[in-house]
Amino acid sequence: MSDRGDPPGALPGDENSEIEDLTDLFENAPCGYLSATPDGRITRANRTLSGWLGYPHGELVGRRFPDLLNIAGKIYYETHFAPLLRMQGFFNEVALDLLGKGGQAHPVLVNAVERRDAEGAVRFTRITLFNAADRRRYERDLLDARRAAEQATADLHALNQTLESRVAEGVAERLRLEESLRQAQKMEAVGQLTGGVAHDFNNLLTVILGGLEMVGRQLENLPRGPATERIQRAASMAAHGAERAATLTARLLAFARRQPLDPKPVEPNRLVTGLADLLQRTLGETIALETVSGAGLWRTMVDPGELENALVNLAVNARDAMPSGGRLTIETSNAYLDEDYVADIPEPVPPGQYVLIAVTDTGTGMDKQTLERVFEPFFTTKEVGKGTGLGLSQVYGFVRQSGGHIRIYSELGQGTTIKIYLPRSLIGAAAVADLRKEAPAHGGSETILVVEDHEDLRNYSTGVLRELGYDVLEAANGHSALEMLQTHNDVDLLFTDVVLPEGMDGRRLSDEATRRRPGIKVLFTTGYTRNAIVHNGRLDAGVQLITKPFSFAELAAKVRAILDT
Amino acid sequence: MLAIVRKEETMTLAERHNVHTSGSGPRAMVFAHGFGCDQNMWRFVAPAFEDQYRVVLFDHIGAGGSDLSAYDSATYASLDGYAQDVIDLCRELGVRQGVFVGHSVSAMIGVLAAKRAPELFDQLVLVGPSPRYIDEDGYVGGFSEAQILELLEFLDSNHMGWSQAMAPVIMGNADRPELGEELTNSFCRTDPEIAKRFARATFLSDNRDDLNGFVGDTLVLQCSEDVIAPQAVGEYVHSKLPNSRLIVMSATGHCPNLSAPAETIAAMKTFV
Repeated sequence: MSDRGDPPGALPGDENSEIEDLTDLFENAPCGYLSATPDGRITRANRTLSGWLGYPHGELVGRRFPDLLNIAGKIYYETHFAPLLRMQGFFNEVALDLLGKGGQAHPVLVNAVERRDAEGAVRFTRITLFNAADRRRYERDLLDARRAAEQATADLHALNQTLESRVAEGVAERLRLEESLRQAQKMEAVGQLTGGVAHDFNNLLTVILGGLEMVGRQLENLPRGPATERIQRAASMAAHGAERAATLTARLLAFARRQPLDPKPVEPNRLVTGLADLLQRTLGETIALETVSGAGLWRTMVDPGELENALVNLAVNARDAMPSGGRLTIETSNAYLDEDYVADIPEPVPPGQYVLIAVTDTGTGMDKQTLERVFEPFFTTKEVGKGTGLGLSQVYGFVRQSGGHIRIYSELGQGTTIKIYLPRSLIGAAAVADLRKEAPAHGGSETILVVEDHEDLRNYSTGVLRELGYDVLEAANGHSALEMLQTHNDVDLLFTDVVLPEGMDGRRLSDEATRRRPGIKVLFTTGYTRNAIVHNGRLDAGVQLITKPFSFAELAAKVRAILDT
Repeated sequence: MLAIVRKEETMTLAERHNVHTSGSGPRAMVFAHGFGCDQNMWRFVAPAFEDQYRVVLFDHIGAGGSDLSAYDSATYASLDGYAQDVIDLCRELGVRQGVFVGHSVSAMIGVLAAKRAPELFDQLVLVGPSPRYIDEDGYVGGFSEAQILELLEFLDSNHMGWSQAMAPVIMGNADRPELGEELTNSFCRTDPEIAKRFARATFLSDNRDDLNGFVGDTLVLQCSEDVIAPQAVGEYVHSKLPNSRLIVMSATGHCPNLSAPAETIAAMKTFV
């Protein structure tokens, strides 16, 4: 037993065994130990450390501690940790990488402390190194997890943001659609109302015009005198007024889109010239209208009424784009759309010959965003209540329906040009126009069955036809018309209103009549054509129609033409 | 009547740079720390000059007690930003014909500043200077390019240094800075991101051309066994500066101002 006594719990033994014990603790402790001179040169290193690094025991002595570190650690040790050790006498838990003899990295946590003598001079530095491979891995995992969490948060945030904007877009789109639908429903209602009123008007106008024509014809048989001339003037004044009313009714129907497209070969120059007066009135005094008619212009196959309507629509838009005046130019020319050109057009447009009608204004022009949407139904730049947003879409629809193509060019502050390309027609226009306007009122002796529920109108039509020499039967509805066909097998022409009461419209009557009497010819009339004989806005092939109001001459010509085919 | 008093919030450059002045004398001696710690690097050296000089200690922006919010990665991507700071700060402090003492990377920062504003310093003390750390075409900088790239890559992919200090970063306790504050490194506070950028600015710099034409009175203090700035580099700097003196000290390592303050002071006193 030593006289200083063993500490409590210490194993009994002599001094040698104590040294042996402490040496074993130093050499084989579960951490690396080393002692170094104040400038870092290793004076002693334990077996644990040399074992980690793969050096034979004792080989570390004489090296500088920073030389055991990887390059980053070496630089950091010299610039950060050595100064720190000098300044505060220690540093703790510094994460560094040792390099083994073979170059492999050993992550460690390093503690260092300066041991000083009684005078305060540094005797040596004790450096303790803990294996930190696991800890470094956890830290890395933790950092990775944190980065992943941050990324996920960022992704979620981004998703939320796009979600918000997508929801906002969706809601806006829905609201827009609802507004469009509301507008469409309103237009539908207005259209029905207008169409209905126009229908009744047309019946009445037919009677009025018919009556006035009758007056005119009767006057011709009377001896001329001041009285007859006054009557003649009054009658033609009344007829003029009625024709104006008929034009108005037609425009109402066009507005209501209840007018079937009835394509005819049209001479665009003639149509534009004929429309100039109306256009100038539409434009007002501050806007000059100029028409430039191309020479040798081809004909095109379109519904002239709708083309007029389209030009009026464009004129109205142009007028609104030129609040302080300007110039509207309508130019016509022949055009050829080649393969390259049509390839760039989204809609299917065949290459070939077209008639171009270009409408140019010197107005405010449109920006790109507006241009992209300008043909959309209900898109309008006008104030609420000022425009329907149907103008250009109606024009677009009409042009496309007619097999044509429309292009719009616009520059802010410069103006807008809308080019309408309509397919060239090789059919002559003159014959058709003559049939309508100039055919002599030839009559005949065939038998015609007139079916019309409107009594005045029926009387007018039968009167005209009888006057022309035809044998005329009449019926007020489809059923009695069929009965009449049963008893009269000599009916050559069925002249029927499209809209008939009591469940049998003109179309069904016509079908039934044709079934019972093959070869019978049919002429429809209507002031309000919607579905019975019109599909997709065009008359069915082979259907003959005379629209109300019609004149004596028109009816005479039409009937004769049909009977002669 | 209500008087509206506005608090003046503009910080002086001295406040931004955590300037500490002491001592008195007709000339100022300005101490600049290098890559690593902060003005504490001079704690054993600076007091020895307080009897004859107005001693100015400061921290570079991004280091120590400087205003970290003033750190701008573009400004401090090269040593020019740091040199301009030295000029601006010394002008604010009224330094003229003073002594600039720069350690490590601040040695070159001092040369850049002295060239641009010659009125500031009459004498430069460069402790462990290096105009270029990477070996190149016969020039010995002490590091291969691969080694410096390894350092920068290691800094990008690892946290270097105190694991405990990393705890707040790892755990995201940025709102509890005291977790990182009460650590073992109160003398060496470093924002890891700024440290990475400072390392990049330091070890990728090549200011050899800036030595040309500098004729200021210069002392080059070179340590033995300095792995950051080997003796060949010190000799190179000395050879490029016509009015320079080179003293190779027996102190080892890169920081004689800490490891051998007495030798450092003595060497400086032979010069100033």
